[in-house]
Amino acid sequence: MIGEIIESRTSEFIVETVEYDFKLPYGSFIRTVDDNRIIYGIVAGMSTTSIDNNVRAKAFFKSLDELKLEQPQIFSLLRTEAYCIVLGHSEGGIFKPYYPPNHPTLHLQVEFADDKEIIEVTESFTYLLKTISCKDADGEELTAAALRKAASLRENRRQYLVEAGRELFKILDYDTQKLKSIMERVDVI
Amino acid sequence: MKGTILRGSLSGGFDVRLAIGENIEEIKVGTFCVVEGKRYDFFSMVVDEEIEATNPQVLYDTFSDNPLIDEIVMGTGVIEKVKIQPMIMIDKLEGGVRPVKSIPSHMSPVRAAIDQDVFTIFGEPDEDHFHVGSPLDMEDIPLCVNLDRFIERSNGIFGKSGTGKTFYTRIMLCGMIKSQKANVLVFDVHNEYGWKGSSEDIGAEVKGLKQLFGSQVAIFTLDEKSSKNRGVRPDFVVEIPYRAIEPGDIALVWEELNLNPTALESIYILQRYLGSDWLLTFLKMDVQDIKDMTDEVNASQASLQALQRKLMALERLPFIKENPADDAVKRIMEYLDNGINVVLEFGRYQNNMLAYMLVANILTRRIHERYVTRSERAQAGQGEMNKPLVIVIEEAHKFLSPELSNQTIFGMIAREMRKNNVTLLVVDQRPSGIDPEVQSQLGTKIIALLTDERDIEAALSGSSNARMLRNVLASLETKRQAIILGHAVPMPVVIRTREYDFKFYEDMTDGLIDDDEDFTGKRFLDDMAEYLEDNGDVQVDVSDIDGIEELFKG
Repeated sequence: MIGEIIESRTSEFIVETVEYDFKLPYGSFIRTVDDNRIIYGIVAGMSTTSIDNNVRAKAFFKSLDELKLEQPQIFSLLRTEAYCIVLGHSEGGIFKPYYPPNHPTLHLQVEFADDKEIIEVTESFTYLLKTISCKDADGEELTAAALRKAASLRENRRQYLVEAGRELFKILDYDTQKLKSIMERVDVI
Repeated sequence: MKGTILRGSLSGGFDVRLAIGENIEEIKVGTFCVVEGKRYDFFSMVVDEEIEATNPQVLYDTFSDNPLIDEIVMGTGVIEKVKIQPMIMIDKLEGGVRPVKSIPSHMSPVRAAIDQDVFTIFGEPDEDHFHVGSPLDMEDIPLCVNLDRFIERSNGIFGKSGTGKTFYTRIMLCGMIKSQKANVLVFDVHNEYGWKGSSEDIGAEVKGLKQLFGSQVAIFTLDEKSSKNRGVRPDFVVEIPYRAIEPGDIALVWEELNLNPTALESIYILQRYLGSDWLLTFLKMDVQDIKDMTDEVNASQASLQALQRKLMALERLPFIKENPADDAVKRIMEYLDNGINVVLEFGRYQNNMLAYMLVANILTRRIHERYVTRSERAQAGQGEMNKPLVIVIEEAHKFLSPELSNQTIFGMIAREMRKNNVTLLVVDQRPSGIDPEVQSQLGTKIIALLTDERDIEAALSGSSNARMLRNVLASLETKRQAIILGHAVPMPVVIRTREYDFKFYEDMTDGLIDDDEDFTGKRFLDDMAEYLEDNGDVQVDVSDIDGIEELFKG
């Protein structure tokens, strides 16, 4: 387990990680098992904040080691959250690149998706539409991160990127500048 | 070639979006492709190619620093389009080909044509279908012309000088002679068809019709000495009697004789006054005779004397005789009636337009007269219909220019189509010089490279896809490429003509030949066999080449 769902919507959910200092890599693919369905998402943003929404953490101007010795209690007032968007779900072992009928149940446990699952999720390029149009995060950055991960798992990375790029180019309405800016951030080949 | 239909219309042709990975550089204008519709296959020709962008901005952004992006954009943002013109539809349900009357739906797959498509449309080589070449980039597939349809109408072979008009003509002549569907009469002004010709491509001699077809071809000559110098044994030496020359013939060569319109009118008056021997009588007149005549015909003496001086140019043509030994027209007719094709060589008169035009016109007019009489008799139920005759004329614009085509017999033959079973094979380098009315009557045209706008327009006049074919025509290679369009082919087609080589000789002589060095055609052997049988009363086996040679030596 790497975290638990603490807020859930059809298109997105928020995961609190197991420790305040346990950070999920940006753009990593995650999954949660909801009854007989596995819901897949991608980490679109991380934040570490105070537990109390009304109180912001205070600056102590000391090193982390000093703080851990002198003020160990302040760390338990922090939490780290991952903002994830839903990419699709799988039922009966078949991945479906669209939202599940029900949004994820709260307090479900969240895991990293394994490589095989990531390959399955990124086989069709529908996920690019979700990453690029994600509302609360930088779509281009997220798309580049997803492509980096997806391509790195392929044997023929270049071929995968070319095919994904063609799909992306259409989604971007043939905007070459945007395509260029995204593809330049995919440095896995 | 692989792609899908992007857009298009029946009149304007279709745009095909090339599939990603296809190399547009390898698709040449003029090649064939097939659009696989639901019910019909649309056999089409590539007429243009283009680069287009879904978003015009894409064209201006350059990505040369990132090959990955180049690869992504190519085929999506920037697409390569091939413009194709549907030529004919193949009905997949009921079979058969028909003219294009509908269009395939969007996204229909497009593929390169294969041999079966070509055979369905043009037919496979057989007695009626003559293999003239192959479609562009489909070198192994024979493309055929329907010979029956070819000889039904007058035809044209056009192309700039040096594009192989003679070569195409020779191939078509071989096809017609071999099929025995028509007799040919060739006015061989440059001495290229009879015994041997030269090939600019290989810089060597090629075999003429006589060498290939032996006794089926007779060589007539205007200049026996020149023929013999070239190693040709002519079957007949043509002489033209003065009385065969009519005012119309003189009118045809007015330019060569430097005659003005008034002089031409005087000629008609002369004929009326002097009768059928008008020309000779006139040429023999002295000043006093002319003066006497002037008073009677009410013409100016000075102009008649000038006319006489100019007409004296005819006396310098030695083949025009007062009393020829034999009647050339009668001989030609005899040969043609026996199914023997005639090639008339002009020997050293090859650059003498006066000789060429005069002789061609006089002979053709009289031969045509005989054909007309015979066909009229046949129509009245007396006698057989003529065997089709194809008359080959080079430098055709000289005879068929808008000014002259109404006066020459050739204009008339071109217009009357096959009524009397006489048609023309017009060979010319300046189709724009030919009367548009005659142009429009030409059934099948073989057009090699033309660059002059007017020539292209004239050559393509009367074809429904002229605009599309223009690009194709201008992009032909100088040698061995031509468009065939018209009556004998179901659709216009660019061909790479077949080689005029040993393989061709073999085909034309039914394979019975020695080797390339010592060539003997089957029909030549037939001749030898016949000769031996006639003279020695021996039985000869034609397939036994060595045996015949032995007998012949004996």
